[in-house]
Amino acid sequence: MSVLQTISLEHLPADYVVHIAVYREVKNSSSLQEQLLAGNTEFEYALIDASVIISKIQAMSAAYRAVNDLVENRLRSRNVHSEIVFSLSPNNNIAETFRRFGITPTTTNLLVIKVSTPSQPFSADAVQEHLTKSIDGTQAEFNDNVIAGMTDLARIRKIYKLNTVGSKPEKGVANAKAERRELEMLIISSMALRGATN
Amino acid sequence: MTSILQYPLPLPPILAHPSSTAPLLITQGAEALLYKSTYLLPSLPCALKYRPRKPYRHPTLDTRLTKHRILSEARLLLKCRKEGVPVPSVYAVDEGQGWLMLEWIEGEVVRVRLNEWLRWRREKGTAEGEEEGELRGLMERIGEAVGMMHGVGVVHGDLTTSNLMLKSREHAEVNDHAEGGEENLLAGEVIIIDLGLASVSRFEEDRAVDLYVLERAFGSTHPRAEGLFEVVLEAYGKSFKGAPIVLKRLEDVRMRGRKRSMLG
Amino acid sequence: MIALGLEGSANKIGVGVISHHANGKAASVLSNIRHTYVSPPGEGFLPKDVAKHHRIWVVTLVKEAMAVAGVTIADIGCICYTKGPGMGAPLQSVAVAARMLSLLWDKDLVGVNHCVGHIEMGREITGAHNPVVLYVSGGNTQVIAYAEQRYRIFGEALDIAVGNCLDRFARTLQISNDPAPGYNIEQLAKKGKVLLDLPYAVKGMDCSFAGILTTIDILAAELKANPEQRDPLSGELITTADLCFSLQETVYAMLVEITERAMAHVGSNQVLIVGGVGCNERLQEMMDLMARDRGGSVFATDERYCIDNGIMIAHAGLIAYEAGFKTPLEESTCTQRFRTDEVLVSWRD
Repeated sequence: MSVLQTISLEHLPADYVVHIAVYREVKNSSSLQEQLLAGNTEFEYALIDASVIISKIQAMSAAYRAVNDLVENRLRSRNVHSEIVFSLSPNNNIAETFRRFGITPTTTNLLVIKVSTPSQPFSADAVQEHLTKSIDGTQAEFNDNVIAGMTDLARIRKIYKLNTVGSKPEKGVANAKAERRELEMLIISSMALRGATN
Repeated sequence: MTSILQYPLPLPPILAHPSSTAPLLITQGAEALLYKSTYLLPSLPCALKYRPRKPYRHPTLDTRLTKHRILSEARLLLKCRKEGVPVPSVYAVDEGQGWLMLEWIEGEVVRVRLNEWLRWRREKGTAEGEEEGELRGLMERIGEAVGMMHGVGVVHGDLTTSNLMLKSREHAEVNDHAEGGEENLLAGEVIIIDLGLASVSRFEEDRAVDLYVLERAFGSTHPRAEGLFEVVLEAYGKSFKGAPIVLKRLEDVRMRGRKRSMLG
Repeated sequence: MIALGLEGSANKIGVGVISHHANGKAASVLSNIRHTYVSPPGEGFLPKDVAKHHRIWVVTLVKEAMAVAGVTIADIGCICYTKGPGMGAPLQSVAVAARMLSLLWDKDLVGVNHCVGHIEMGREITGAHNPVVLYVSGGNTQVIAYAEQRYRIFGEALDIAVGNCLDRFARTLQISNDPAPGYNIEQLAKKGKVLLDLPYAVKGMDCSFAGILTTIDILAAELKANPEQRDPLSGELITTADLCFSLQETVYAMLVEITERAMAHVGSNQVLIVGGVGCNERLQEMMDLMARDRGGSVFATDERYCIDNGIMIAHAGLIAYEAGFKTPLEESTCTQRFRTDEVLVSWRD
């Protein structure tokens, strides 16, 4: 059964869609990363370590920005897929981004994003087929519950420098759910302001 | 609140791309247009603030200014939000195209709610000064919110009752104190909006002027509530360490009074 | 009724004779003459020199104004003079002349606020009924709107006036002050095309010009030291014309912006530009683009009225006099600081 999600994000041209999949217990992270680094064109995906993802919205936000930048012709990285990973970053240090957000040999939970564009269209079936073939792991549904189970909050707080959020209950963050929501908001904002905060 | 468009208004190019619902123009200021739209998904509403090109400015200057202002506003919103100041979240920024997408705040501006409340009381026949608990509560919350913003080193630059919102409660959080059920008009978290003229400052003068502009806004828009502005100031005075000094400075600003003639 | 007006708050001394008709018809300008004290290039004007200039010229101008108007002493209803704001000594010279005429001819005196003079004359000449007013000159920069018997100041320059900024830059470049430094900056700017990055200082409804002046002065010095400088963006050689062009585009954009803010706040789409800097064609053009973008229009006067002149004093003074206002001799002082909103505009409701 395919749990790959295909999304037409708001305010993008109609012929750009994103396909998103989640995998747990991935065993071949090393070789997946190698393929990516080798520039193998069959492996043009955004391969993201799911532990640094707090929610669906965060992942889609990165996808939106990257595709928007593609459409406006202002990619800063090699292609739209590397740009998605870059769009997760709070700063402009591209090299650091892949170390922090991208797949590494130790990645066990993986978020995969594929962009279908007019010049390079990919159907959901084609993507699902290729992923099933290439990823040694268990596919899960792309939803917030699944993702929450994979999030490494401490790591996220460190990367986005959000250590103080939620630590003071009087600042209005009453419970774990609200705290998570607030973190998610701040992460989205940091991504939006990539490199421009001072 | 929609606006009747007399002259064709520029849509930001982003709104030309397909989306589930048509954009809704909310307000049209001197500087920017505010639309209600969606972010990423049809179910996630957002506020889109768009600064259109100004034909009188040299294009280089125009682009430079627009980019700077969009980024500045976004930065200040993030800075405030990070420190717990109640402002909308930033969703996306495109300074090159002149727009910013913000969290949609469901609710209404204080200006409207306050006038509704005052009118409701008048119809009920309640005398001024009676049963003012709700109004006092609102004033306190306003003072606290502004104090929090000043406390983190940001001044708003345009504090009026149109730039303060009362956020509707999400249905999941039904609470106990439904007073008589019906007219909880003044309830809700105070959210400060429109940081288009905001700046980083810790000067008493800037903070005092912020308060003075708000005071005069109450005076000219809600004269019947003006008497309770001292409740705002009292709550403000307790909100951060440097606040009492600002209140002292406010007295000087009042004396100088130029801003009085500006809004009077 | 007919009034004689004397103006001398800066380096121009103007005398005008105006006639107001009983039946509400437009006023008639019977005469409007002026003489300007022009300082050498690279220099500003000193109050004592200007005051001396005014003293030398006032009697001649009064005689000439009355001759051109074809009026006698008996025809004059009152003597109007600029009470302020402006430069101390020049204001005094003209006030002394006004008092003298008042005593000599046994006429009432009317002290007039210089800014209100500009506004009322602008309204009269252009027919703009209730516009937002941008008053810009060497000594003043204000955005004004009328409300409840006051000309209220919505926004202003927080440090130096825009005209002062332009005049001082003219001195930096050693441009001629004849007929006016701002005029010569404007002509030079027409030949410029590179837009340099200058500090843009609008704070809410107000603006400030000291910073941009400092920057442009530094750029001028750098250009003088190194005439081969190129603009990093376009690669073009930078000229003094480009400096003037950049300065104008930036300061005028600032003025248009604060004017637009006031218009949005007040809900108006009419603009009236008054004051010496109002003669500038580029400023008028920019203001027109902004106003039309909002579905409105710009009103401006020509150099007879936007540059300081005596007729505006006569006109504003006479309106006030007709509404019952006059200045007793003991109170016929002048003052360097006289805010526009201090005047009770009793002739409007």
